[in-house]
Amino acid sequence: MKPIHTIAVGFDGSADSKVAVRWALTLARHYDAHVVVAHAVGLLGRFDAKNVAVELEESLLALCDECGLEHARARLEITDGDACSVMLRMAEPPISADLLVVGTRGQGAHAGLLLGSTSLELAEHSPIPLVIVPSS
Amino acid sequence: MLIINGSTDDAGHEDPGHPERPERLAAVLAGVEDLHLGDDLLAVAPYAASRSELVRVHESTYLDQLGAFCYEGGGDLDEDTYATYDSWSLAQYAAGAGLAVVREMRIRGDGVGFVAVRPPGHHALRDRAMGFCLLNNIAVTAAELTSLGERVLIIDWDVHHGNGTQAIFWEDPNVLYVSTHQWPLFPGSGAPFEIGGLNALGATVNLPLPPGATGDVLRQALEETAVPAIDEFKPTWVLVSAGFDAHRADPMADLALSSGDFAQMATFAASHAPAPGRIALFLEGGYDLAALRSSVNATLGSLLGDGVASENPTSGGPGADVVRSTRETRLAALRIAHDAGQ
Ligand SMILES: [Zn+2]
Repeated sequence: MKPIHTIAVGFDGSADSKVAVRWALTLARHYDAHVVVAHAVGLLGRFDAKNVAVELEESLLALCDECGLEHARARLEITDGDACSVMLRMAEPPISADLLVVGTRGQGAHAGLLLGSTSLELAEHSPIPLVIVPSS
Repeated sequence: MLIINGSTDDAGHEDPGHPERPERLAAVLAGVEDLHLGDDLLAVAPYAASRSELVRVHESTYLDQLGAFCYEGGGDLDEDTYATYDSWSLAQYAAGAGLAVVREMRIRGDGVGFVAVRPPGHHALRDRAMGFCLLNNIAVTAAELTSLGERVLIIDWDVHHGNGTQAIFWEDPNVLYVSTHQWPLFPGSGAPFEIGGLNALGATVNLPLPPGATGDVLRQALEETAVPAIDEFKPTWVLVSAGFDAHRADPMADLALSSGDFAQMATFAASHAPAPGRIALFLEGGYDLAALRSSVNATLGSLLGDGVASENPTSGGPGADVVRSTRETRLAALRIAHDAGQ
């Protein structure tokens, strides 16, 4: 198995995504890895991107404290794109993550449909291992 | 003569408060009316793209899922993109509108085509809706043209990179995709080193521009980097992803173009069509209604030879250095790809 140096986790501030970030931060402690916390800025996201960035940064620091990971081992990466494309980009240079982590966000999709589910889209396209963390 | 798609009953594709709204199309059509074309305007009958026409550029399972999603009432497909009960039907008509317009142009061997539809298309991927787009309208028409043996130049001057169109034709040497777009900006793709897949090296040309860039910089990018690729490609058809969100008044981005710049870009695009009746424009973005109306008016006016843009072309913005480095990066990427292939 390839060693895990860098873990990328999707974060939009929602309760579901916080569960995934907590899981990634805890795993990073065990593996002595770094965590890139990725936030996708969509077409509509640009209108409140600055406020959201401040909120996510604060939220991330609190989650690091909660999980016992030093702040320097996790950083927020704010990137233009839809959630799925942004996570796929995390697997490529320069980030070159070894593992992707996302929550199970429904995002309006109906059960059994692939449409609208970032986690299922990623499961189909990710070139590296993917962990989907259930919200419960 | 302007050949446009008839019937634009798009009211069912709406999400209250969302910027991709029916008023956009009304503004576009007002821009057409302002030209007072009379008998020089031909509206072709509406046509819904068939399954076999859509699967040239979309995966069958995606079409099934999108149809089912809409018939169950629709909802949000991602953080940007919505669909309603009516969206599946409207999207098929939007994708078919380009086919209908281009077929009429082929019969007549003349005219300028304008496909005024919603929802827009250039972010839609083979297997996924994205960025307000459900089906990739321009790709559906380009794929029909290449199936008839044509060589299609797509110029995408929407302020956002047309990632869907690029991905669909990534390995297709019969489609040259040229995009000018603001960078960085959604969707994050469109770097100069993205030059096409192994079967189509050089057939993707990306021209990113910094915020504030004006028309002179954009024209310089096209002349220096796109023209050599277009001349070598020798297109037999020109399709334009005509978004108008690079206008300085548009809230979605930060480029500084005027309606006069769109008129000049239209002239540029037309100059690469090999004969009359070989250029069609497809509406993509554009979210400021007044800018949309005046830009559509100026663009079509310049193509029909009887328009005067209400705003002068712009100049003096940043980006000359970006244009230079874009050209160098592209040439280096082509060299590396060429060496690796030997
Ligand atoms: Zn756009």
